[in-house]
Amino acid sequence: MDIVSGGVTNVGRVRTNNEDCFRIVEPLNLFVLSDGMGGEAHGEIASALAVETVVQHCQETENDPAMTIFGDMPAIWSEKTKRLASAVHLANKSIYDSAQAHPEQRGMGATVTAAWIDGTRLSIAHVGDSRAYLLRSGNLQQLTSDHSLVAEQVRRGILTPAEAERSDMQSVLLRALGAHPEIEVDSEEHVLFANDVLLLCSDGLTRMITEPEIAGTLQADPDPAKAADRLVQLANEQGGADNVTAVVVHIGGQSKGWFSWLRRGPRKAVRKNGSAGGK
Amino acid sequence: MAKLTLMFEDKLVKQVPIGTRPVGIGRSPDNDLPVDNLAVSNYHARVYVEAGRLVVEDLDSLNGTFVNDLRVERATLHDGDSIWVGKHHIKVDASGDTTSLGDTGKKGAVAPRINETMVLDTKARRDMLQQAAAMGERTQFAASRLKVPTLVVLSGKTDQKEYVLTNKLTVIGKSKMATVKLKGWFKPQLAAQVNQRDDGYYVGPGDKVPVVNGAPITGPLRLNDGDVVEVCGLRMNFIFRD
Repeated sequence: MDIVSGGVTNVGRVRTNNEDCFRIVEPLNLFVLSDGMGGEAHGEIASALAVETVVQHCQETENDPAMTIFGDMPAIWSEKTKRLASAVHLANKSIYDSAQAHPEQRGMGATVTAAWIDGTRLSIAHVGDSRAYLLRSGNLQQLTSDHSLVAEQVRRGILTPAEAERSDMQSVLLRALGAHPEIEVDSEEHVLFANDVLLLCSDGLTRMITEPEIAGTLQADPDPAKAADRLVQLANEQGGADNVTAVVVHIGGQSKGWFSWLRRGPRKAVRKNGSAGGK
Repeated sequence: MAKLTLMFEDKLVKQVPIGTRPVGIGRSPDNDLPVDNLAVSNYHARVYVEAGRLVVEDLDSLNGTFVNDLRVERATLHDGDSIWVGKHHIKVDASGDTTSLGDTGKKGAVAPRINETMVLDTKARRDMLQQAAAMGERTQFAASRLKVPTLVVLSGKTDQKEYVLTNKLTVIGKSKMATVKLKGWFKPQLAAQVNQRDDGYYVGPGDKVPVVNGAPITGPLRLNDGDVVEVCGLRMNFIFRD
């Protein structure tokens, strides 16, 4: 499958430093995003460390598939999903160790949302409240569950999604990298279809603009870098209260087989549907 | 009376009856069915009776609980099922009248899986479960988790008659990667989709716009028990099955 991607990070309009960090590793089809927290410049250290560790581990395992997998993984997962979750475990450890070694870094932490695409399989590993979305046929679906207090309250039926959006507890995270030596990592696998669009973003985006706006923007621009740029711009237009990061990944409609001409019909239909759902 | 038999390979390890109290399964010796294996978490799973049905619930174990090869977080057990934890399995004997299991109702409901802390050890998790129970939220939460979302085919050509929605993303289409596989010429690869969100299951468009209870949807629509979904000549009933 043809994969085209683009990402943008921006400090926003209120903060003075950008604690978000992302990385696109094109040869691996690996996408990692992290949102750091902690005083001074430590949030930046944490998010950079998270992204760096995940990318490095995934690259190393590409060269040396025999590397140890950290954390306990269900056997049903694919190798890539296990690797990615393992990388997030390592990222947690490196942030935690760094904070232990440097007292001034105590309390720093980071979210991480990482996606690895292998053929038609999408592996996701995730901790915190940065999100992964999948836009499929104009339908925007959040893949990750926020590890935030309000999201947990919605899942338990204590808050409605609307109440959660208004809550002033939105920043309270139940899980983040770097707080404990061990961490629980959410992982999942999905099958990708032609023309799917994957979005990774920090909460600076999702708190500023609505999901229909996100869906519309993703559909309106066929260039992932421009779509990411437009999303960040929209978030800033609506306040830009936090750092904003968006990574957009387009899954191509390229078929692998001789029967590719068969797919032309549906693909056209999707495009029609897509532009209709845009602005 | 229903009973559980812990087996290792062909050897019977222990047998316990299922009463009103949940049967604990795990590596810790204070479980009703202690399983001495490093692949098994201290408090791995439990089995209890709820509304006359036998339910197994995984307690966020590291390596998972399997019912007849299927990994489950929570599942209803039937006579003859096997629960697998590590290399051990537990045979379910519910040949006795299941309604005589004693309806513990909501009292038997179990606390939600929560991630209130970043600590991973099982003691913390157990405390959390107790805490949540004390908060009195468990009945409400458990009630929403009791049932399995299922698409039952009413008419149309598909590869199965019934689909239990186990994944977050379900695709209805001709694609070989689709969950609900449409058969026949000129069917779209991706006709429609059913996705799980925090507050339920939503049907959304693919190349076609599905019709729910006779009306075409205008955007993602949350499905209610009993809704009829139609797309590409396929009619399905969305139900929460016990």
